[in-house]
Amino acid sequence: MKQAAIHDYLYKYFKSNNCEILENHHSQLKVKLTVDLDKLLMNRPFYWHYMEKINQQPETAVLTFKTDPKDEGDGEFIHFGSPRLHQIFQSAQQLAPFIRLFHIVPALENKSIALKPWLGLNIKVSYQCDVKKDRILSLGLQLINGTLIDQFQSLLESLPLTPKIPDYCYTLQPLIRPLSGIRRIESYLVTMLKGETHDWASDAIRRWEHDLHLLDQFYDEEEKPETYHSEKEALKSQYEPKIHVQFINGGLFYLHDSAFS
Amino acid sequence: MDPEIIFDHSWQDEFISRIDSDGPWANWEVYKLAFHAEEEKRIPTFEGLMAPEHLPHVTFLPHQIETAQTVIEKMHGKAILADEVGLGKTIEAGLIIKEYMIRGLAKKILILVPASLVLQWATELNSKFYIPAVPQRKSYVWEQCDVVISSIDTAKREPHRSLILKQDYDFIIIDEAHKLKNSKTKNYEFVQSLKKKFCLLLTATPIQNRLSEIFYLVSLLKPGYLGSAEAFTKHYRDGKTKVKNEERLKALVNQVMVRNRREDTGLDWPKRVIESIEIPLSDQERDLYDSLFTLRNKLNIKGFSLITLQREACSSREAVYVTLNHMRKKFDNPAVNEIIDPLFDKINAIQSQAKANKALELIKKINDKVIIFTEYRATQLYLQWFLQQNGISSVPFRGGFKRSKKDWMRTLFQNNAQVLIATEAGGEGLNLQFCNHIINYDLPWNPMRIEQRIGRIHRLGQKNDVHIYNFATKGTIEDHILKLLYNKIHLFENVIGELDDILTRLNLRDLDKQVQTIFEESESAGEIQIKLDNISSVINSEKDLLKEEMHNEASGDS
Repeated sequence: MKQAAIHDYLYKYFKSNNCEILENHHSQLKVKLTVDLDKLLMNRPFYWHYMEKINQQPETAVLTFKTDPKDEGDGEFIHFGSPRLHQIFQSAQQLAPFIRLFHIVPALENKSIALKPWLGLNIKVSYQCDVKKDRILSLGLQLINGTLIDQFQSLLESLPLTPKIPDYCYTLQPLIRPLSGIRRIESYLVTMLKGETHDWASDAIRRWEHDLHLLDQFYDEEEKPETYHSEKEALKSQYEPKIHVQFINGGLFYLHDSAFS
Repeated sequence: MDPEIIFDHSWQDEFISRIDSDGPWANWEVYKLAFHAEEEKRIPTFEGLMAPEHLPHVTFLPHQIETAQTVIEKMHGKAILADEVGLGKTIEAGLIIKEYMIRGLAKKILILVPASLVLQWATELNSKFYIPAVPQRKSYVWEQCDVVISSIDTAKREPHRSLILKQDYDFIIIDEAHKLKNSKTKNYEFVQSLKKKFCLLLTATPIQNRLSEIFYLVSLLKPGYLGSAEAFTKHYRDGKTKVKNEERLKALVNQVMVRNRREDTGLDWPKRVIESIEIPLSDQERDLYDSLFTLRNKLNIKGFSLITLQREACSSREAVYVTLNHMRKKFDNPAVNEIIDPLFDKINAIQSQAKANKALELIKKINDKVIIFTEYRATQLYLQWFLQQNGISSVPFRGGFKRSKKDWMRTLFQNNAQVLIATEAGGEGLNLQFCNHIINYDLPWNPMRIEQRIGRIHRLGQKNDVHIYNFATKGTIEDHILKLLYNKIHLFENVIGELDDILTRLNLRDLDKQVQTIFEESESAGEIQIKLDNISSVINSEKDLLKEEMHNEASGDS
């Protein structure tokens, strides 16, 4: 992540969380936190507890960041490895797990417009043995006819969306219930993942069996000691190939057909 | 076999209930940011390192990056790191830990290091790597903290031991792992009992020292890798100490061990400039030194005890006084006193010490930071006083100091004092690369010890050539040592690994003991000389042989 992109990210994060931006130029970003964000980021529960107890108006923290390493001014230098940035990444996910949005479609001659329900899930798939890699998927499932599309998030980001249903629009009732929608996406994922070739997994299993064989030779007695079993357990956690499917965030989206044209 | 697919379902109930109660719903901007954070954090490939991008303020050297990659990709996270002193093993370990943490492959991490290095590791991991490593102080730390640093001595004791064994550690790192060479010890047994998913063993001395050491260290890491103890002995042991099938063993070991050497790091290392300084004793000093031989006949003090006294006398009158006084008290007998007391008179007669004067002269000439190493505490104290009398500021350093005191002394030396006077144990983990002059005030007989001394300053971060001054008093036992180790076989101008290789090949790892035996058993100075000459010519011819072999390997006609 480039420094400029980090600056941009931080600005958007604080802005959209309603923090007052006190300063924003080239490298510097100075913000005054809201109460919610202060509680989330500053890790000072005693302060909050105390202020609430004595009925005082708490003062939220002001944070100053800089993204240019050459910037000599005050402020916490933020780069891709900063614990602060990762804390913010994590908090974004905590703050925004679920959403519902409506497509803004210009109304034509006061005719009412139908919006179709979509279930959107952002998902991280991790392929893991003693090494690991990730893949991000964004899947959208139409809850009437069951159409499933990939790259759903980038489609959404190209559309005008609003949290309140726009005038002259109405939503169609889903035929697929959200929970069944989730199941459909899961079974799609299972089919997709099973269809892949998993050389990485067979390699890991080969390494696992090899080490297991050595271990068995080392402890060749009948009555195996405790260490044998814990080493065996360790080999399993080291090599056993697994695919973890994790939820990033998701929601319901009511979209007009024009979104797909 | 298809890999198991594991779904996280924990979010579903909450999602459904939000749909049912119509919210609360997230802000679209924050929702997008959450998704993009995941995209940024995504690990795109199994191979390669993510960590350096997370640590832009650290400049990693090519061999450190390569080591981390080898350990993760080729050794699958179980390795012995055996770089030569000063190449940054801690950095390599930190880089590997960081990589596994970023990839989410390690969360619970246990780091076992000598007690004196706990805080240093904690500082390094926190400030350089942003790894929230916590020094273990209270027993609840084991459960509550993910990354814990402790000494083995603490960890193996109850109640810690049981608590540790209950944790499910992903990664275990052991510094100074060469101390685990004996499989019968509690420490070994403890480390063996830990579940090791990923594991790093760090050692400064290469493990090719002793056959059994290799076996036990590797077996800790990968039990069975070198076979059972019995099979190992059968395959690789020849007689009592010799190795057979050495090539095969080496090849095997190299698959679980990374050993970077200075010479193959491709870095421009500062040079070592070695100067041997022979110092004539004053008449009074000579008188004392020679009189020590009288103890041999009169009190039957000989062998090791006599050698010790002689070496002390070469160091300082204070050092020899301490031992003589101790001896006098121990015998507590008028007849003995009669023999020892004249020696005290001789000590008192010494007005000025030739070595100390030489040191003073040299320090003034250097006019920069200097480290003096001595083997004796009495000498250390004396030198401190002596330098102070002559207007030179110095700080003492001993292995026994608490970590905080060591740090303080190091800081004082860096900022306020010209000289640091260290006794032998000052070594481990001490970085003094801001200084580039060492005086070996007296000479240790074990060449690896000298190597460790030099390693304090001849390490990464040293910008200047390193000057080493070896002191030896003329016509004494020191003189022999200087001539053997320093002048004849040029041990310390060699690359570190090379010396070690040579001594290992010759089965002379205990060179200091051999030398001691020569002194103890020889009847005359002439005999000592001949025997020492013998050793040095053996070492030298082995060195030539090694060079030739390396040359052949390099040119491909082996």
